[in-house]
Amino acid sequence: MDRFRDFLNNLYFSIMKKLFSYKTLFFILLPAFVSLVVWNILPREEIDYNAQVKPIFNKHCISCHGGVKKSGGFSLLFEAEAKGNTDSGSPAIIPGRPGQSELIRRLTTDDPEERMPYEKPALSRDEIKILKRWIGQGAKWDTHWSYVPVKKVEAPDGFREEEKVRQWAQNDIDLFIYEKLEQLKLSPNPEAGTDRLARRLSFDLIGLPVPDSIYAGLGESSPETLKNELTEVLLNSPHFGEKWAGIWMDLARYSDTKGYERDDSRTIWKYRDWLIKAFNDDKPYDRFLIEQIAGDLLTDPTDDQRIATAFHRNTMTNDEGGTDNEEFRVAAVVDRVNTTWEVIMGTTFACVQCHGHPYDPFTHEDYYKFLAYFNNSRDEDTFDDYPVFRHFEKDDSIKLAELTVWLKEHADRSKRDEIVKFVKTWQPSYNSLKSDQFVNSELADTKWLVFRNHGSSRLRGVDLNGKNTMIYRYRGFLPGGIWGIHLDSADGPLLKEVKVEDTGRRWTYNEIAFDEVSGRRDLYFTYSNPNLKNPLSNGLMFDWFYFTASFPGKGKPGRQKAKNDYWHLVTRHALQTPVMIENPPSMSRTTHIFDRGNWMTPGKQVVPGMPAIMNALPDGVENNRLGMAKWLASTQNPLTARTYVNRIWEQLFGSGIVETLEDFGSQGIPPTHRKLLDHLAWKFMRDFNWSTKRLLKYIVSSATYQQSSHSRPEQLSVDPQNKFLSRGPRIRLTAEQIRDQALVVSGLFNPEMYGPGVMPYQPEGIWNSPYNSRTWTRSTGDDIYRRALYTYWKRTSPYPSMLIFDAMAREVCASRRISTNTPLQALVTLNDSVYVEASLHFAKRMAAYNGTIEDQIAYGYELMMNEKISSEKLEILMDLYNKVAPPARVKRVGYSRESPEDQHARRMAVLGNTMFNLDEFLMKN
Amino acid sequence: MERREINMEKLEAQTRRHFIKNCTLGLGGLALSSLISACDRGASGNLRLSGPGGGPMAPKPPHFPGKVKHVIYIHLAGAPSQLELFEYKPDLVKLNGKACPQSLLQGKRFAFIRGVPKMLGPQAEFKQHGESGAWISNYLPHLSTIADELTFLKAVHTDQFNHAPAQLLMHTGTPRLGRPSMGSWVTYGLGSENSNLPGYVVLTSGGNNPDAGKSVWGSGFLPSVYQGIQCRSDGDPVLFINNPDHIDRENREASVRAINEINKHTYDEFNDPEILTRISQYELAFRMQATVPEVMNIADEPRFVHDMYGSDPDRSIFANNALLARKLVEKGVRYVQLFDWGWDTHGTSEQGSIDVGLVNKCRQTDKAVTALVLDLKQRGLLDETLVVWGGEFGRTPMQENREGKTNRFKGRDHHADAFTMWMAGGGLKKGFSFGETDEIGYSGISGQVTPYDIQATILHLLGFDHEQLTYPFQGRPFRLTDVHGTVIKDILA
Repeated sequence: MDRFRDFLNNLYFSIMKKLFSYKTLFFILLPAFVSLVVWNILPREEIDYNAQVKPIFNKHCISCHGGVKKSGGFSLLFEAEAKGNTDSGSPAIIPGRPGQSELIRRLTTDDPEERMPYEKPALSRDEIKILKRWIGQGAKWDTHWSYVPVKKVEAPDGFREEEKVRQWAQNDIDLFIYEKLEQLKLSPNPEAGTDRLARRLSFDLIGLPVPDSIYAGLGESSPETLKNELTEVLLNSPHFGEKWAGIWMDLARYSDTKGYERDDSRTIWKYRDWLIKAFNDDKPYDRFLIEQIAGDLLTDPTDDQRIATAFHRNTMTNDEGGTDNEEFRVAAVVDRVNTTWEVIMGTTFACVQCHGHPYDPFTHEDYYKFLAYFNNSRDEDTFDDYPVFRHFEKDDSIKLAELTVWLKEHADRSKRDEIVKFVKTWQPSYNSLKSDQFVNSELADTKWLVFRNHGSSRLRGVDLNGKNTMIYRYRGFLPGGIWGIHLDSADGPLLKEVKVEDTGRRWTYNEIAFDEVSGRRDLYFTYSNPNLKNPLSNGLMFDWFYFTASFPGKGKPGRQKAKNDYWHLVTRHALQTPVMIENPPSMSRTTHIFDRGNWMTPGKQVVPGMPAIMNALPDGVENNRLGMAKWLASTQNPLTARTYVNRIWEQLFGSGIVETLEDFGSQGIPPTHRKLLDHLAWKFMRDFNWSTKRLLKYIVSSATYQQSSHSRPEQLSVDPQNKFLSRGPRIRLTAEQIRDQALVVSGLFNPEMYGPGVMPYQPEGIWNSPYNSRTWTRSTGDDIYRRALYTYWKRTSPYPSMLIFDAMAREVCASRRISTNTPLQALVTLNDSVYVEASLHFAKRMAAYNGTIEDQIAYGYELMMNEKISSEKLEILMDLYNKVAPPARVKRVGYSRESPEDQHARRMAVLGNTMFNLDEFLMKN
Repeated sequence: MERREINMEKLEAQTRRHFIKNCTLGLGGLALSSLISACDRGASGNLRLSGPGGGPMAPKPPHFPGKVKHVIYIHLAGAPSQLELFEYKPDLVKLNGKACPQSLLQGKRFAFIRGVPKMLGPQAEFKQHGESGAWISNYLPHLSTIADELTFLKAVHTDQFNHAPAQLLMHTGTPRLGRPSMGSWVTYGLGSENSNLPGYVVLTSGGNNPDAGKSVWGSGFLPSVYQGIQCRSDGDPVLFINNPDHIDRENREASVRAINEINKHTYDEFNDPEILTRISQYELAFRMQATVPEVMNIADEPRFVHDMYGSDPDRSIFANNALLARKLVEKGVRYVQLFDWGWDTHGTSEQGSIDVGLVNKCRQTDKAVTALVLDLKQRGLLDETLVVWGGEFGRTPMQENREGKTNRFKGRDHHADAFTMWMAGGGLKKGFSFGETDEIGYSGISGQVTPYDIQATILHLLGFDHEQLTYPFQGRPFRLTDVHGTVIKDILA
C-alpha cells in the first residue's frame, strides 16, 4: 500500500509541475487529479517516535551511538546530538529531507565500509522505510513516555454500556482491562467465590489469613456487603501496616546488621516500627517520602521525622579492620543515590555512575549533581553508625522536656535548638577517625584515634568561632596522662591541657572550657604519660569531639538543675537509631564527578541539580536534600506516582503493569496497560491525595481483581502469563506469609507488634561471621511465634528458610522478588522446625474438634483455606490417615508410645504436616 | 545486532512469576508418572532458560565445547602468603629487617601498614620440584610431589585490599554486595548433571564463614535457584533435609504421595502449570532426602581414602570437605566451592602469624588438597574438572607494623599488587608457570592477571565466552566480569 501511495504521490507532483505547459492534458487528467487530491486529504499516519523509531535506534544503533560510545561524533540519545553536527561537520539527520540525510545514506549504501550497522546485518526494508518517513515528516523527537508528566486519563468509554461489561465491570479499572481483552478476543473470568476472595483479600491487605474473629463477626451479610466490610476491616487492621512495611523493607534494604565482614548488629528497628505506623496511619505517600529522605531538614523536626530518615541509613557500614572509611562512606552515598532512583523513580541510575546512561537521557554529570544532594550527611562509616538519634524514655524524657522548657526561657532560639539537637544526636561533632598526621598515634582498627606515649595528631579545620567549650567521648587506659590541645601545629600555642585518668576501659564523657579564639583552625593533640612505660601501648583513645559555647543562662534560676539534666542526658546510655543529619556549613563537603565511577579519581566539581529530562525543582524550595525530597514527591515528577502505583499493582497481581518495576526507561519492559497506569497514577495523586489505602481499595474493588483464578485453555494459549488479566491472580505466598500463615492456622501466632528483632527456630551453625561473637540465641516465650517481619535479619547470613522462599538478603535494595519453585522449598515446609511445630499444633486443633475423623480433617482444611474441602481431597487424606503407621512418639507435643489413646493424635500429626504442604495452601488462589 | 530483542525475550521469560519450570520426566522414585506426564502440555512453552530436559537446572550446552564440566574452587579465606609458599625471592632474604624503601610506599594504600615498615625475609625454605622445576616451599611437602600437575599464576593482582570486598570481587566480579557468584553464573549457564543433588555446593571449614559471608555464594539478581547450597558435615547435610522425629521414610513417602495427589486435583481445578512444577519438586525433594545424606556421608569411605586425604568423619575439618568435593563432582555436581577460613597472617597473634599460623593452616590442608588432585586424576575426573586454589589477595614483603609499631609475631599485611594462585585440570598447560614478579615479589613484571581474567578463563574452560554469558537486569545485560576480563590464553593447553 505504501509503495502504491508513493507512486501516486510522484505522479501527482509531476502533474503539478507540468500542469500549465500541457493544458490539454489538464482536462484529460482532471478526474485522476481530483481523486489524488482526495487521496492526499485522507490522514496519513504519523510515525510515532517512541513506538516506532526509538526501538530501531535501540536495537541497531545505540550501542555505538549512545550515551557511552559516540562513534563518528554521532549519538541518538539526545535530540540536540542526533540533529547536530557530527565529526564530518554536518548533521546526519536533516528533518524533512530523508534523501539528503546521511543517516539514510549510510543505512542503504552498498559500500560495506560505509554501510551501517557496521559489520552487522542491514536494517530491514520496513525499518528503513519507517526512518525515511519519520525524517520526511520532520524527524519529530519525543520524550520517552515515562518522563512525560502524568495527565488525567479517562477510561475507554466505547463499550461501557454493553450488557456483559455492565454485568462484569465494577469500576474504571475494568474498562481499561476489558478493552485489551476484547482486542485479544479473551473474556474475563467470573468472580471468585466469596470465601476464596476473602482469603485473597486478607493476604493482600494484611499479609495474614482471614482472621477468624473478623470473618465470623461479619455475619450473614450479602456477598457484596461482606466484601466491602471485610475490605474496610482489613484496611483498618493494625496488621495492615506490618504487611506493607515488609514490602518497603526490601526496598529500604532493612537489616539488623551492618554488612560486610563483621556484619555486626545495628539498632534500627525503630525505623521498621515507624514504617508500620506510617502505613497504618495511611501517611500520604508524598509526606512518607519527604520524611524518609529529609525529615531532619523539616522545620522543628519531630522525633518520628528524624527516625524516618533511617531509611537511607540502612546502607552498609564496613567495620573490617584496615578499611578506608572514606571509601565506604562514598559507597553508602552512592547506594543512596541508586536506591532513591530505583525505589522511588523506577530508574536504573546506577549505570550513570561510571558513564553517561547508554539508553536513557541521563548524563554522567547528572549522576554527581544528584549525588551532591546526599553528599553532605554527617555519616562517615563510623563503628557506631553516627549520626544517631538517641531515644529517651520515662524519667529521661521528662528531664528532656524540663530542660527544653528551661531553655525556652533562658536561651535564645538558636542556642536552644543547638542544645536539644546535641542531646538528641551528639551532633554536629568531629569523629576522631577524621584525624591525620599521626606520630606515635593511629586509628585503632582504623576506627578510633589512639595515642601512645609522646604521640600527636591533627584534627583539621575545626570551626572555633564563638566556641569556648569542648565535649568529647574517650577512654583513658591508665592514670597520669596529659593531653595537650595546640593551635595550628604540634608545638603551636597551647589552647588547653587536660589530665586524663584511667576510665576503666569504658567510654567516658568530659567537658572542658578554653579561651575563645576565632576562625577555622587546625587542632593538634599531644599526649604524654610518665606511667606509660611500654612505647607500643596505647594510653588514650577518642571517639568524637564537640565544640560549643558554654551552657547558657549564667546566674539564671534553675541553671544548675538544667545543666545537670543536660549532662545526664548527654552521657546517658540511650537506645540509638542511625539517622540522617546534614553537615553544618563548616563541615560541608564538595562533590566531584568521579572519573569512570572511581572515587579515587575525582574530576570536575559539581553543585546539586536535577537531570534536564526531569521536572524542575518546585518553586520556593531550597536546593538541598529537602528540596530534592519535595521534588520527588511533587505531582510534576513523572516517575514517582507511576512507580508506586505499579509497585502496589504488582503486590496484588504478581506482576506490574510495567513488569520491570525497577526500570521505566526505554530498556524496561513496556507497560501492558499504559493508559491504566497513568489513570491510576493521576487518581492516586489528585483524587486520593497520595493515600495508599484509597488506592488499594480502588484496585481491590475492581472486577479484574475479584476474578476467579482458574485458567481456561484459550487463556493459557493466548496469554499464558496472564499479563492481560483475563483471570485473577494466582501467585505463591511470600516467605513471610507462608510462615505467618502456618502460625495463625496452628493457633501459635503471637500478634504482638513492634520492638527489637526476634530469633525463632534456626538450625545450629548458621551464623559464623569472623570477628563477631554474636550468636543466634532463640528468643524466649511467645517471641518465637511473632510475625516473620520481626525476625532478626542478618545481611550476610539471612534467615535460611525465608531465603529459600525467595526473600532477599537486603544487601542492596531489591525491587522485586522473583518467585521460584524448588525442592528446597518443599524441604522447608516439610521439615523445618517452625513448620513441624506449627503443623503439630494444627493437628492438635483438628484432633480436638468434636466430630468424626472426616469432620476433623474437614475442619482443619477450612481453618487453612477458609473454604470447604472437596470430597476427593478428603478421601485422599482419609486414605493417608488409614495408611500411616502411627509414629511411635511425638516428643514435641508429648505424645508417647505408652498412651494408646494418643494413637489418633499421632496419625493426625502426620496429616497436619501433609496438609501444610498443599499447593493451594502455599498459594493465593 | 539482535541483542536488545533477545534480551527482552529473556527478560520476559525470566522475570515472569512462571519462571521456574521443572517438569523433569521419568526420574523414578515415587511412581507418579501419571501425574507428571501432564507436565508437557501444562508448561505451555516459555522454557527458554532450560535445555531440552526442562527446568532451570537441566543440563544446557555452553557456547562452545568446554574443556571441563566441573569446577572445584578452593578459597583460602584470609589470603595465604605467596612469599612463604610459591614465590622464591632470595633478594628478600638479604633485605630482611631493613627499612622499606620510600619508592615502594609512595602512592600505595595498605590496610594496616603505617609509616615506614621493615622488610621481612621468607620464613620458609624453597626447593624446585618436578620436571617443571616449580618452586614450592617446605610448608607444602605434599603439594610439592604433584608440581607437574599444576598451572601457576604468579602475578595475580586485584584492586581490593580488604577481605570482604576482595573476596566478593574474586567470586562475584564486584567488590560490593549484590551480584551473583561465579557458581551461580555457571549453573545458570550450564545447569547441572544430577537433578537429585544441588548443582552448586558450598563447603566451609576453619570455624568461620568467609569474611564476605554467604554473599560470596549468593545468586544476586539471578533467580535464587542458582544460589550455592551450603552442605554441612554437622547437623543436616543440607538444611531441612531430615524428616522430623515423628515422620519416618515410609510415612514421608505416603505423605508426599498424598500431597501430590491432592495437588493434582488442584491442578484440575485451576489449570495452573505451576502446580505441576510443584508436584515434581516434591518428588525431587523426596529423592534428595535419600541421595544427599548418602553422598555427604564419608564414614563408609575405605580406610585408604581417609589415609590419603587425612579426613576424619568424626571431626569437622577441611580434609573432609576435600574428599566430599571429589564425591560431589563424581556425582555430577557442577560447581563445588570450598572455603577454608584462617589464613590471615598479620602477625598480631601466634595463630595469625606466618611462622606458626600459616604452617598450621598448611598442615591442615596440604595433604587433602594434594589427595584431591591425585584422586580426581586416578578416577579419570581431572581432565573434566578444574581445580582452582587461591586467596583473595597476597601479602606484603614487609613485616606488618600495625598502628605504626612492629607486630609481635612474624606477619605480613594484605597486598593487592601481586600474589600466586594455581589451577589444575582439563584444558591447561600442566607443570606450567605464568607471570613473574619483581625480585621481592612486590609487583608483577610480566603476565599480570586480574580476578576478571581468572573468571574469564574459568568460564572459557567451561565453554563460555564470558562476554556473552549475560543476564538482563536493570536495563542492561550484566555479566560476571562486568566490563573487564581477558582469557589467559598463555596457560591453555
